[in-house]
Amino acid sequence: MGQYKGDETTGFQSPAQDYIEGVVYLAAILDLRRPGRYPVRVKGQALAARGIHDGDILVADAAAEPRAGVVCVAMVGGDVILATLSKRADVWVLKPSSGALITIADDVEVWAIVQALVRTNV
Amino acid sequence: MFALIDANSFYCSCERAFDPKLRPLPVAVLSNNDGCAIALTREAKDLGLKMGDPYHLVAKRPELKPIVWRSSNYALYGDMSRRIYETLLDLVPVVEPYSIDEMFLDLAGMPGELAQLAADIRSHVRKIAKIPCCVGIGPTKTIAKLANKVAKKDRNGPGVCDYSEESVRAAAYPSLPLGDVWGIGPASVAKLAALGVETVGAFVAMPAEYVRKVLTVTGAKTHAELQGVICFPFNTAPATRKSLAVTRSFGRAVTTWPEMRDAIASYTARAAEKMRRHGLVASAMQVFMLTNRFNNDPRYANQVTFAVEPTADSFALIASAVHAAERLWRPGYRFAKAGVVFVDLHRPDDLPIQMLPSRDPERSARLMAALDGVNGRFGRNTLRPGGTGPKPQWGMRRARLSPAYTTRLDDVLEAQA
Repeated sequence: MGQYKGDETTGFQSPAQDYIEGVVYLAAILDLRRPGRYPVRVKGQALAARGIHDGDILVADAAAEPRAGVVCVAMVGGDVILATLSKRADVWVLKPSSGALITIADDVEVWAIVQALVRTNV
Repeated sequence: MFALIDANSFYCSCERAFDPKLRPLPVAVLSNNDGCAIALTREAKDLGLKMGDPYHLVAKRPELKPIVWRSSNYALYGDMSRRIYETLLDLVPVVEPYSIDEMFLDLAGMPGELAQLAADIRSHVRKIAKIPCCVGIGPTKTIAKLANKVAKKDRNGPGVCDYSEESVRAAAYPSLPLGDVWGIGPASVAKLAALGVETVGAFVAMPAEYVRKVLTVTGAKTHAELQGVICFPFNTAPATRKSLAVTRSFGRAVTTWPEMRDAIASYTARAAEKMRRHGLVASAMQVFMLTNRFNNDPRYANQVTFAVEPTADSFALIASAVHAAERLWRPGYRFAKAGVVFVDLHRPDDLPIQMLPSRDPERSARLMAALDGVNGRFGRNTLRPGGTGPKPQWGMRRARLSPAYTTRLDDVLEAQA
């Protein structure tokens, strides 16, 4: 007994038996084993214009280099927020979906940069 | 050349990595059943909290009020340890995970200046695995470990200490206390203090034969390692297990046989799963149960050790364990702890063939592989043998448990858009 994968048939031999590849493995595509990759859940609709919705699971990478315009997960004071990275006069700043620009200081950390997104109910 | 990278209050740092509110606060992590402090940040230490302090005795002390307490979240700590290991493996060719929060690195043949390399490694681990660490460098594991201790003690220092040069060590050794040396425990420290040897410098100056006489061959190895002679090479194979135990203190006293039976069955299932992961089978096991020794409950403690047909089959082992526990069980007592220990572990290939096995070994292996496969994929306890209760009353007390941020989808970090 086992799973039928399109290969082992009982009557006619499957012409596909030497060509079975298995299902697409999303964890590998999203590279979830990389040590810098973290899943993060989105709260709120403020980034809907960027295609990022409430409840989405982001794959954020702490090893990724910052680039202007990317969305990042940031720790600001005691809060975990999503913000857009941009450069002002050669220094990185965070643009949150509402409120003033945040300059990167002691209690502000660009924690990881959003690389991919998973949505389970479309 | 060796380096030892060691996480600063690892469990607390894991908690802080995902909860920025904790970063400026003193934090302590509790042992199983929220018993006592097993990890604390330097802020908590500065308030006077000590490793091993029992939570229920110290939590109400006024000076310790600011401390944020957490139950131990081993699902999180294990995954963060993996992240440290894999971050390191991208930077150096050999990494030996010595414990959950310490790893030895082989820096042989690495280009550039060692201290700079160590500083880069440290900042990578901080950035990618989110854990602050200190790094010690030395020509032997014992020296790297000592250097790490020095780096850690220097709170405002660079977090790196390089003892690769003999002249640097010779200058430092006379002021380092012997207790800082890996492998020299309090008993050895006392023995050597009686001989007037209190610093690493004085210890290294002792003749080797004399050290061997006082501290046996283990101490002689440490003595040689401190002088740059490698006695403990790299070891990348995990320690081979001679026995495997799952024992727990109950969250509250167990007073009925069905509860005890479920606990024994769960522990056996868990131990069997661990054993299969190591590719081992047990040919003997021990079951024990006992009441609280520290209160006024009537005392009872008993154990039984017996041989079983060599197997890793959860069902067979649960049947044997429950049968044994039934003989130990005494009604009327308030049980505080029970456990299952598999002794006499073997690789199946090392055993003689069973002429008349009572279970079909291939069928059993397939069933167990399916069980472990489902649990590995969908989370522990998704599938479990009957009789190992779902949400037991006697289970571990973990009132202050943080989410399993990295391993459970319902628990992942939330960010406000």
